[in-house]
Amino acid sequence: MADAKETLIPAEENSFRLEAYLARGGYEAARKTLLSMQPGQVMDEVKKANLRGRGGAGFPAGSKWAFVPKADDQPKYLCVNADEGEPGTFKDRAIMTRNPHLLLEGIVLTCYAVGIHTAVIYVRGEYESIARRLEQAIGEAGLKGFLGADVFGTGFGLEVYVHRGAGAYICGEETALLESVEGKRGWPRLRPPFPASIGLFRAPTVINNVETIANVPLIFRYGAEAFVAQGLPRDGGTRVFGVSGAVKKPGLYELPVGTSLRKIIYDWAGGPAEGQGIKAIVPGGLSAPFLTPDEIDVPMDYESLAHIKSMLGSAAVIVIGDRTPIIDVLRIVARFYAHESCGQCTPCRVGTTWISKTADRIAAGGGVPGDLDLIRRLAEGMKGKTLCPMGDAAAFPVLSMVGKFGRELEETISRRAE
Amino acid sequence: MSFSLSQTAAKRVDELVRRYPKKEAALLPVLSIVQREKGFISPEAERWVAATLGLRPLQVREVLSFYTLLRREPAGRYVIQVCRNLSCFLAGSEEIIRHLEARLGVRAGGTTADGRFTLETVECLGNCDHAPCLMINDDDYGPVTKETVDGILKRLA
Amino acid sequence: MVTIQIDGQTLQVPPGTTVLKAAEKIGVLIPRYCYHPAFEPEGSCRMCLVEIEDLPKLDLACSTVVREGMTVWTSTPKVLQARQEVLGFFLADHPLDCPICDKAGECFLQIYYDQHGRYASRFLETKEKKKKKVPIGKDLLLDRERCILCTRCVRFLCRVTGTGELGVFERGVKAEIGIDEGAPVANNYSGNLVDICPVGAITDRDFRFKTRVWFLENRRSICPRCSRGCNIVIQSICGYPLPGNERRVYRIVPAENPDVNGYWMCDLGRSGYHDIEDNRLDAIAVKGEGAAAGQPLSWESALKGLVSDVRAAAAFGRPPRLGLILSSFLTNEELEASRRLFVESLGAKHVFFADPAPGKADGLLLTADRAPNRRGAQMAGFEPKPPDLVGLSESVDLLLVFGPHILDHVPVEEAARAFGKIRRTYLLAAHRSALDEVAEVVLPTAVPAEKQGSFTNTNGLKQHFERALKPSRGRRAEGAILAGLAAELNVKLD
Repeated sequence: MADAKETLIPAEENSFRLEAYLARGGYEAARKTLLSMQPGQVMDEVKKANLRGRGGAGFPAGSKWAFVPKADDQPKYLCVNADEGEPGTFKDRAIMTRNPHLLLEGIVLTCYAVGIHTAVIYVRGEYESIARRLEQAIGEAGLKGFLGADVFGTGFGLEVYVHRGAGAYICGEETALLESVEGKRGWPRLRPPFPASIGLFRAPTVINNVETIANVPLIFRYGAEAFVAQGLPRDGGTRVFGVSGAVKKPGLYELPVGTSLRKIIYDWAGGPAEGQGIKAIVPGGLSAPFLTPDEIDVPMDYESLAHIKSMLGSAAVIVIGDRTPIIDVLRIVARFYAHESCGQCTPCRVGTTWISKTADRIAAGGGVPGDLDLIRRLAEGMKGKTLCPMGDAAAFPVLSMVGKFGRELEETISRRAE
Repeated sequence: MSFSLSQTAAKRVDELVRRYPKKEAALLPVLSIVQREKGFISPEAERWVAATLGLRPLQVREVLSFYTLLRREPAGRYVIQVCRNLSCFLAGSEEIIRHLEARLGVRAGGTTADGRFTLETVECLGNCDHAPCLMINDDDYGPVTKETVDGILKRLA
Repeated sequence: MVTIQIDGQTLQVPPGTTVLKAAEKIGVLIPRYCYHPAFEPEGSCRMCLVEIEDLPKLDLACSTVVREGMTVWTSTPKVLQARQEVLGFFLADHPLDCPICDKAGECFLQIYYDQHGRYASRFLETKEKKKKKVPIGKDLLLDRERCILCTRCVRFLCRVTGTGELGVFERGVKAEIGIDEGAPVANNYSGNLVDICPVGAITDRDFRFKTRVWFLENRRSICPRCSRGCNIVIQSICGYPLPGNERRVYRIVPAENPDVNGYWMCDLGRSGYHDIEDNRLDAIAVKGEGAAAGQPLSWESALKGLVSDVRAAAAFGRPPRLGLILSSFLTNEELEASRRLFVESLGAKHVFFADPAPGKADGLLLTADRAPNRRGAQMAGFEPKPPDLVGLSESVDLLLVFGPHILDHVPVEEAARAFGKIRRTYLLAAHRSALDEVAEVVLPTAVPAEKQGSFTNTNGLKQHFERALKPSRGRRAEGAILAGLAAELNVKLD
């Protein structure tokens, strides 16, 4: 069992138990690494592996860690982003439910590399059972000395806490997450300064997604080269693609970075649902510009998707069947961002609700000529002008719908006006 | 002050307060503990939490009103949260929502007269491969149909 | 120093300067709502976006710090379009209240729309409905529909007064400012919230619906209600649209002075505009004459009487049987004139001061000393302290009392008894008081807003001020009275 390649989401029942994880060879990589490598070497190995963030932005993890000051004269923090609010995304839930110790081992390695002694796992409030599972795993790991004051007997100290959110998508944004941990409203912070210099409680902080951290032990178990080889030269490893919507087999599929979208949808997820063709595809979570069926051969990696003006984001694929009116998708998307807008900056606060009200009006039959142009202008008005990336996140899918499905939307407006 | 928590909950609050470099960072977890025990966060609870964490009641109210899972009014014994986001919509969530509204006799956002069920529509619950999905208190359900929903409600009755 | 270019102009600024502050140095005012120079940049309104060469997106001028060689453009088509778009978002959820909103004329939605907007609205939906008249404490009312959530008010109460009465509740488009019901705004700086609100969301009941700001004349002065010497602007109307030549003071607002009061003033000072209008003495009164005779007494005859009374008191030799109860409301120039005339020239010994009883300093601007020029009095060589009235009444035949504040130290009966023993008492005051019945001659004087001169504040800073208003209806500045007196007595005052 120890030589079967560890996946992020093991198939077996009870894979989450510490005994099962140890039987799979768990915590060995961390032990060996802490005993034989310096923190700087650990960071270099992660850089070599080209591990990019798997929360949405895709920033190289090793580079992000390197921004943290090296000196040991102040506390530093790791925040693991388990807020998983991006619609269509459900991978971190599975990793934490089925492989919590993999995440903990990743936390140990990450904190060792950066010189961090306190890690906070920020879990969305709806994931209460997962929060409890994590707390149980932390307890188990602590008893075995994998966490605590003297990790693996090396003298390295690390405390890990679970911190529950309370229902706010915006708290998946790095700095809003920090505000939330500090007990405040989730209003993102102005940058600069960046969290690597001034973060949680004003201390240098690394914030990484669950899947990003969960990949770290694999880098040390199998080596950076093997990790890169699994994926692409500038984007190593696997991604846990979440597929949902109008497909025959919705689910999580851990596949190499760069697997084609067509393969993911047809070979793994069984193709579109019975009796439907594909009208549109969300490639990387709701905030990614939508794709049309003729773009389905795109390799699923950051560069390839950026090349066609979309993004890999959280690798959450949602297939929209051709029986679904785009206006319904538009109103649901717009409603989501309006509901989740934190309200701090005006373009997003007003723009998301304005677009939502317009989309609702069109859906209810009250659309007028000029509405699509208005929606486009509002989304462009938010794009690049908000305090945090949520303004762009709200704008991208809307712009892609108005751009790529404008004809259907215009027909909707004129048809229902009759 | 008349507000107090059970011993277990109070102990947990103490642990949390000691865990962070600043007491106020415990606000969200403490509010969550209070809500678990009392069902919602009353004005007395707000003042108690404020005093415990060295905050002004205004600061507690600011946070309370920002997060959708925190309640200022009592809810039903079972809080049903039905996802209304894209994947669930594509799987028929709007029909499920209408069905529940009819079954329970409340509009989304309301609580049944007998105090048993609160029905809410929420954004993505992170369970998209089980669409259409819903949560009842801490438990996930999905994919649901009108029939399975009826079955769940009956079991909870 | 860092060398940068803004709109083609080269300038040098100290390192750490923001683009917004640098632009101000060359007269380029980048629009802003949430930014206020008293606070750290907030970055939430998004109005101050500018183009910085070599950067892909527009950046905030308020928080971007200059770098050597930085090239900034504040009015390119891209910037102007962004401004219009951001402004459009502000206006979409803003009620069209201008015709009934006090802020009209000094509202930054109007001002920026005029400068950067001027487009037709494309908003077809229903605006968010919110409460429009929420009392938030003291005299303040909050209109949540007008509020643009710049959070200046919230931040002011956190950073300046440390009282934190306002917070932001709810999320997204439902976000609103509010108080905790049991803890409304209750500090001495609430009036600043109206000043810093860029729109008409926070208004003051004392000013609501009274006038339009474009009618107001703005004149600088110094607040006389304590010894801080806050720089103020007195806002008044004389004439149109008031009937005839009527004069009315509507409001006092702070004038910025980094050495004295920064950007603020206290509520006690603000309500000081009532001192200009209310309870004023406006006619010369002589006990037994004047009103009884149905004839208004003239200043000429009153001054003639004063001159002869002073001569009579001086005729006794040095020291003369003349007493003075001066006031720290007198300007440095008036105090100097008193000193030269009475102390130096006439040798007067019985010179005292009667100032308001001290209050409580509030740790910010308001001092315990509630008169504006005590330091000035000390620096002029006086020892400002009140008299023992009994002793005084036996030593003088003529007493000149400046201001009614002796009543802060003794009950009016005691003053009456003492004055009764003195052959002639003059009261030179601006406001009515119980002393009016006790003094023999009452001469109505000007308030500081109606004078020019200087006050020396609690830190020893001398501040000169010009006349903000003409003293009307028969009042004279003490300085003018003293100058007239000195001229008649052939005393040179300068």
